[in-house]
Amino acid sequence: MAAGTLAGIAMLVLGESHLSLPGYLMNPLYEDLTTQGATVHAIGACGATASDWLKTVEVPCGADRFKGDTVFKGRAATTSPIKELIAKDKPNLVVIILGDTMASYDNETFPRAWAWQGITGLTKEIAATQTPCVWVGPAWGTPGGKYFKNDKRVEFMAGFLEKNVAPCVFIDSLKFSKPGQWATVDGQHFNQAGYQAWSANITKALAALPLVQGLKK
Amino acid sequence: MKHAGVVFSAIQDKTVGVSQSTSYATRFWAVALCVVGCAVSSLNHAADIPLYPTGPSADSSFVRFVNGTGAALELTAAGSQAKVQLDAKTPATVFYPVRAKSDIKGQFTQAQSKSAIATTVKAGEFVSVIALADGATLKHVTIGEEPDDFNALKVSLAFYNASAKCANAGLQVVGRNVMLFEKLGVNALTRRMINPVKISVQLLCGDQTVGAPLELGELTAGERYSVFAVPVVDATRIFIASDAVAR
Repeated sequence: MAAGTLAGIAMLVLGESHLSLPGYLMNPLYEDLTTQGATVHAIGACGATASDWLKTVEVPCGADRFKGDTVFKGRAATTSPIKELIAKDKPNLVVIILGDTMASYDNETFPRAWAWQGITGLTKEIAATQTPCVWVGPAWGTPGGKYFKNDKRVEFMAGFLEKNVAPCVFIDSLKFSKPGQWATVDGQHFNQAGYQAWSANITKALAALPLVQGLKK
Repeated sequence: MKHAGVVFSAIQDKTVGVSQSTSYATRFWAVALCVVGCAVSSLNHAADIPLYPTGPSADSSFVRFVNGTGAALELTAAGSQAKVQLDAKTPATVFYPVRAKSDIKGQFTQAQSKSAIATTVKAGEFVSVIALADGATLKHVTIGEEPDDFNALKVSLAFYNASAKCANAGLQVVGRNVMLFEKLGVNALTRRMINPVKISVQLLCGDQTVGAPLELGELTAGERYSVFAVPVVDATRIFIASDAVAR
């Protein structure tokens, strides 16, 4: 990928645990995006669902990176209301990387009404600010583990997101690898090679979106 | 609608509040349990992963109230003095989030007539409590729905038949020989997705057209709507309402 494919784009990137711990997605993604010219503020909040980004919610861990090193937070981590974040940062693109926290891997019945309520609540809040947005869906994990992640549900979750995140543009992370291709430490969280691969694919997919190309200065 | 938030804050305080507390408690215990027993480490990672839930313990549930009579009425929630006015301009409340299986109690009031409401909502269910005129008295029917058609790219349109005077109800697109809905029984609903186009619909009871066409207006992709068929003195009328949920 040519350098500078994201030049001039100010991104607010929000995510769940994948963006929250050392060795995870935060650093490779931040570095990949900034290498391509984007200005990035990335915030992770472990376990945060879509509706948690409408208010301030305490989470068990999180991270924040903006013009400097990553600040990893323990119990002090919280989400922040998306409207406040957008008003403060004034990004010209919001990127949501979220799916595993809403997939109910350990429940035979997918909570459609809850998921729809949360997803549309967040997308409507973003749309109200007239900020373009992209929603990156979950990647394949490895079946089992303490989160009970499984291929069937993650595929369903990605499909549910694809149908419901508009006006955000959906990026399907399932297309970046084959099931089980990226090794995990617990079924859901990848090792460093997996996160580097996910980061590179997200960056490439973002740069290819007509929406993003239209934002370049 | 001036008092809607006040009235149903009572319901939400008792229901949604519990759900949120449960969520916090779940997270707390998940983290606590992780500290005790989930010390899984990885050579590639500098920190352990706190365990967190990947979904709620139960799906969301919602209830709304609809005025299917021809005159204004008041809605009150049990234990509250605040009132919601439902009239021709605003015939339905939004869907209020409630805790699944909790008791929902209230009352419709119109002049001297009252209809006591007592219902419960299943996890994942959207319940509509529809007030109807029965001569000079007031009654209501309760119709629940467990939708699975969520889609931000389409319009979702439901058809509720709350009129005992309209067997095999249908809605036909005006100007086109296209049936949106057909042969819907009494106290039942059906739903489908349509493109976000401007259309008018004609009510049919069996094979007979009834009443005037209803213009549905500008329907927005991603939004959900309902057309209600309700009884009037000697026939059935239809009206549309948004299926918006309280945010």
